Amino acid sequence: MYSAQRFQNQWLPAAVLGLTLVISQAGQLQQNDFDGTDFQKKIQPILTEYCSDCHADGMNKGNIALDEFKSHQQMLADKKLWLGVLKNVRAGLMPPEKKEKPSEEEKQALEQWIKRTVFQLDPAQPDPGRVTLRRLNRVEYRNTIRELMDYDFKAFEEFPPDDTGYGFDNIGDVLTVSPLLLEKYVQAAETIVGKAVPLQPRVVKERVVPGREIKATEGEGNAERFRFKRAVTFTKQFKVEQSGRYRVTLDAIVDGSFDFDTAKALVRYSVDGKERFAREFKWEENLKVPDQFEVDWEAGEHTLMLQVEPLAESTKEHTFVEFRVGSVNVQGPLDPKFWSATRNYDRFFTRAEPPVELEQQHAYAREVLHRFAEKAFRRPVDERTVERLQKLAAEIYTQPGKRFEEGISRAMVAVLASPRFLFRTEEPLNGEAAVSEVDEYALASRLSYFIWSTMPDNELLELARKGELRKNLPGQLKRMLADRRSEEMVENFTGQWLQIRDVEGVAINPRVVLRREGVRERFEFDHDLRTAMRRETEMYFGHIVKEDRSVLELLSSDYTFLNERLAKHYKIEGVQGHEMRKVQLPPENPRGGVLTHGAVLAVTSNPTRTSPVKRGLFVLENIMGTPTPPPPPDVPELEEAGKEFKDREPTLREMLELHRSQPLCRSCHNRMDPLGLALENFNALGMYREMERNAAIDTTGQLATGEQFTSIRDLKLILASDRKTDFYRCLTEKFLTYALGRGLEYYDVETVDQIVARLEKGGGKFSELMAGVIESAPFQKRRNVSGVNTAAVTNNQ
Amino acid sequence: MSQQADGKMSTLRAANLSRRRFLRGLGACMALPAMESVLTSALQAAGPAVASTPGGAPVRMAYVYFPNGAHQSHWWPTGEGANFEFAKTMQPLAGLKNRVQVIGGLDHIHATAGQDGAGDHARANGTFLTGVRVKKTAGGDIHAGVSIDQVVAEKVGHLTRFPSLELTCDAVRKSGNCDSGYSCAYQHNLSWRSPTVPMAPEPNPRFVFERLFGAGEIGERRKNIQMRQAQQRSILDFVLEDARSLQKQLASRDKQKLDEYLTSVRELEKQIEQAEKFKDTPDPAVQTPEGIPGNFEEHMRLMYSMMVLAFQTDSTRIATFLLAGDGNNRAFPHINIPEGHHYLSHHQNKADMMEKVAEIDLWYMKQFAWFLQKMEETKDLDGRSLLENSMIVYGCGNSDGNRHTHVNLPIVLAGGGGGLLKPGRFVKAGGVPMSNLLLSLADRMGAKGLERFGDSTGRFELI
Repeated sequence: MYSAQRFQNQWLPAAVLGLTLVISQAGQLQQNDFDGTDFQKKIQPILTEYCSDCHADGMNKGNIALDEFKSHQQMLADKKLWLGVLKNVRAGLMPPEKKEKPSEEEKQALEQWIKRTVFQLDPAQPDPGRVTLRRLNRVEYRNTIRELMDYDFKAFEEFPPDDTGYGFDNIGDVLTVSPLLLEKYVQAAETIVGKAVPLQPRVVKERVVPGREIKATEGEGNAERFRFKRAVTFTKQFKVEQSGRYRVTLDAIVDGSFDFDTAKALVRYSVDGKERFAREFKWEENLKVPDQFEVDWEAGEHTLMLQVEPLAESTKEHTFVEFRVGSVNVQGPLDPKFWSATRNYDRFFTRAEPPVELEQQHAYAREVLHRFAEKAFRRPVDERTVERLQKLAAEIYTQPGKRFEEGISRAMVAVLASPRFLFRTEEPLNGEAAVSEVDEYALASRLSYFIWSTMPDNELLELARKGELRKNLPGQLKRMLADRRSEEMVENFTGQWLQIRDVEGVAINPRVVLRREGVRERFEFDHDLRTAMRRETEMYFGHIVKEDRSVLELLSSDYTFLNERLAKHYKIEGVQGHEMRKVQLPPENPRGGVLTHGAVLAVTSNPTRTSPVKRGLFVLENIMGTPTPPPPPDVPELEEAGKEFKDREPTLREMLELHRSQPLCRSCHNRMDPLGLALENFNALGMYREMERNAAIDTTGQLATGEQFTSIRDLKLILASDRKTDFYRCLTEKFLTYALGRGLEYYDVETVDQIVARLEKGGGKFSELMAGVIESAPFQKRRNVSGVNTAAVTNNQ
Repeated sequence: MSQQADGKMSTLRAANLSRRRFLRGLGACMALPAMESVLTSALQAAGPAVASTPGGAPVRMAYVYFPNGAHQSHWWPTGEGANFEFAKTMQPLAGLKNRVQVIGGLDHIHATAGQDGAGDHARANGTFLTGVRVKKTAGGDIHAGVSIDQVVAEKVGHLTRFPSLELTCDAVRKSGNCDSGYSCAYQHNLSWRSPTVPMAPEPNPRFVFERLFGAGEIGERRKNIQMRQAQQRSILDFVLEDARSLQKQLASRDKQKLDEYLTSVRELEKQIEQAEKFKDTPDPAVQTPEGIPGNFEEHMRLMYSMMVLAFQTDSTRIATFLLAGDGNNRAFPHINIPEGHHYLSHHQNKADMMEKVAEIDLWYMKQFAWFLQKMEETKDLDGRSLLENSMIVYGCGNSDGNRHTHVNLPIVLAGGGGGLLKPGRFVKAGGVPMSNLLLSLADRMGAKGLERFGDSTGRFELI
């Protein structure tokens, strides 16, 4: 065979060919196949047989040529190429559909060769790689502050958005710090400490009466919001324990919707029958209506009252002009002798009062700050740091007129601005080894930021301190997943993996979308519906986590999560009320599985219509794990293709077919379009339909690997059975990326394979995925920097 | 700090009193002893590149934005050049006619729909000082351009205690999606430090004042501001040492991450050093304003007063003031307009609604005239009025609020620019990018050598 000979010569330089063959042990591939013996015997024939038609002998389809290396070493060095080969062969995409396929054994041999010889992976010791020092992102910062300080800091409003990498916003490499962000961190630290750390051990008692507790005397309703449409009186009685002077503060606004209307009302506000105001209100945008006064009260019952008396009819059937009472705040008695322990004082301070003696203050400051810094840094703190913090505090509390707590606050600001708070620093157990497990504090943080998106709690830190966390891992994992905070993993992972975070903002024009189906009713794609959609997918994923179901149910199931609004949207009967709950789907219903979730369907649509291309790409990228490359530049818009149909409007399918007839577009769109078209029974709003523009929708198609389907129901089943390994691998890759905070590299193939094998064996149970990730080398270990014993540096500071 | 928290500090009545006192007191503090020395030293340090008047006073620049376009026929003057008459909306400027020029025929093409569809308010606001097409997104990936005030601040901002000042009367901020799929960031900010980082404007006059002059009573503020700087410094010292010791333990990629942090700390330290150079922080002889007043007019005038004070004391030379974000739907019951502004601006040519829009335009203009009058009454270092030495643009990125057009924008340019401008005219640009004007004003601030800005096609030198 002339061509095979030429092929061979180009693959291997003459020097190698001249060597006597070394026979390796029965069928085993050598990890150190430096001379290419294994390759020549076992791999090259496979490549020659199945790949060379398109990727050798001068052919280089898709810019891939397998025979143009200068040396064997150079061939082995191109890891990116071989990773591509591995992925395509595994997913059945190569060789393509009409070509002859390698046998299972041949495929295995090729896979093994790539993993062992090219990637040099050792299944017994997978390379953990190394995650770049990670800054807390906005979600993690907010949650960590909440956990540490019991303060809800609005990080999304105060901080610029985080960059994302590999589809997630917790990737160390792309989480940067700019001068502006640091300035904001310092400001935030001051704000947070100012709000959260009490400066007085005791304060005036305060009682907040929320507007919703001020109830209508007749019928339903409360003062939290009431519209100017009928006369109504709201009252609230409450008791004060002690006689004394009190301060009463009303927090209320008047607000209308965008459209003006003429509604007008007289609102009277009185306390214990004494009128505070009687004011006329009209349409306003967020007009504040404050009121504050001090009064001497006897112990016992007191009464708040608000009365509304409409003065003018609204021009509209329903007026939206409303009065909203946030709260009435009652402080007192104002005399300090009645004051009570300040909320959260004991969170930061260990004694009821700071000592008076200066030396004792210093010692107490060290104690308080040590405790705080250790928690904030999520690991032990050296003495020198404690000294420095105490000095910072003493600069303030030794000044005349300043309180001890003010000094401590100052030092706490420094802690929250420190890189040790803002970054997740990690230390190895053994800094001398090339690869080592991370220490237990680092493990505690890895676990808590992965599952809770927040800092480790006391239990985790305590186990780490005793060095018993690894020993107790299964139990801790169970506890962490059962904890309410694990909702964070569900929200942040699914929100980004399936892009459902975007459903709250996606621009869809319901009028245009529905007109394609001949529907002319008014339709609001409003906040409630968008939220219900997002919650459907979150709760669905959460259910699989909590009940430890098979992850294949993510693709296909006979249930979903709905409330009345979403059920109506899906035309499913018998669901009442606002609350989202698990609903058994009627037989033959096309829903069930994330691909049929409104959120997924909407975020993969264009503003005016569905996009089978976007949807197809979404499935390839996020379900099957085999995304197509981006389109070449200067491709014409899809709608351009429609011009070919002179006499009538083509269907979307026809346009796509025309588009696919162009060779440039075919190879990728052959994979994308059928997947997207299978979802055409769902419009851009996620509503089910059978017709579009008066034509019946055709959802038949075929995967690149040959499986045929006629509907989304078929496709879901194929994905969850024949192609389930693709899905296991894709989900594992996504989940691992999120867990590690770094993009996956070629050397992670081994780790992913081990987790996929676990899923296969364990029937796809979520717990297998979870345990697989947590126990994996990259989660447990890291590569060390050679020659630097980091632990020693810390201790000698 | 929330407004409620401010409200609690005193009863409403007392707050009103002190605000009135503040507004009155503003006249009394006009001559500040500390000011001249600050000014002279800063100017000497700056060298010849900086725009200054022949008398040695600096030139100031401000952009004031009003929302929702203008009632067209009431806005545009009649006549042309020096020979023109104000129409109804600009009547409040009658006494200052020789100090202002009205400019017609400036366009913001990037505020039009283009490929982006609905969202003219977000675009009008976002494009106004950036001259670019802002990215249509409601999510985290906002993208506009560096605004002209920040371009200038980059060049001359180091000469004053604050590179620039950003103000607004919008106290309630939404997040996420505001106008047809655009992030609220575009409507809440005029000023952009980088394409992705807006300079959030401050609505609370008290915070503006304390940032400029320090917290506390008259006479204590200088000490307080220095104490605050010292405190910030001690925090930065602490974290710097923390970062350095951490740096030693890290691998190279991690070191780069921490380098970003270290560089940022040094930047912040430089900022504080910069501020500390100005030892004689002015301490205006006025009470610190309370929080945000409930009365819109008082609020606006307080914020304008902050601008006067900042310019007068040479605390900064660059300011932007978003009176209200485009699309704002505030009602004006104090001038008998109970409907919302945005709602009315979509008047569908109904006469009564159009008249109300014109009334609102007039009200905004009255406040602007009040501000210009204050600037005119304030004497600058060189003996001229502060207004003569300033360049104040008053305008909107929407022209006709009903039709959402972005050509022939309503623009007033007030002030003499220290002799660099020729006020007292109605100038017709005849359809050139607004960015040309932005570029020409930047030149006059000493930010020379900019090749272009936003969608500029040249300079606009008819001013």
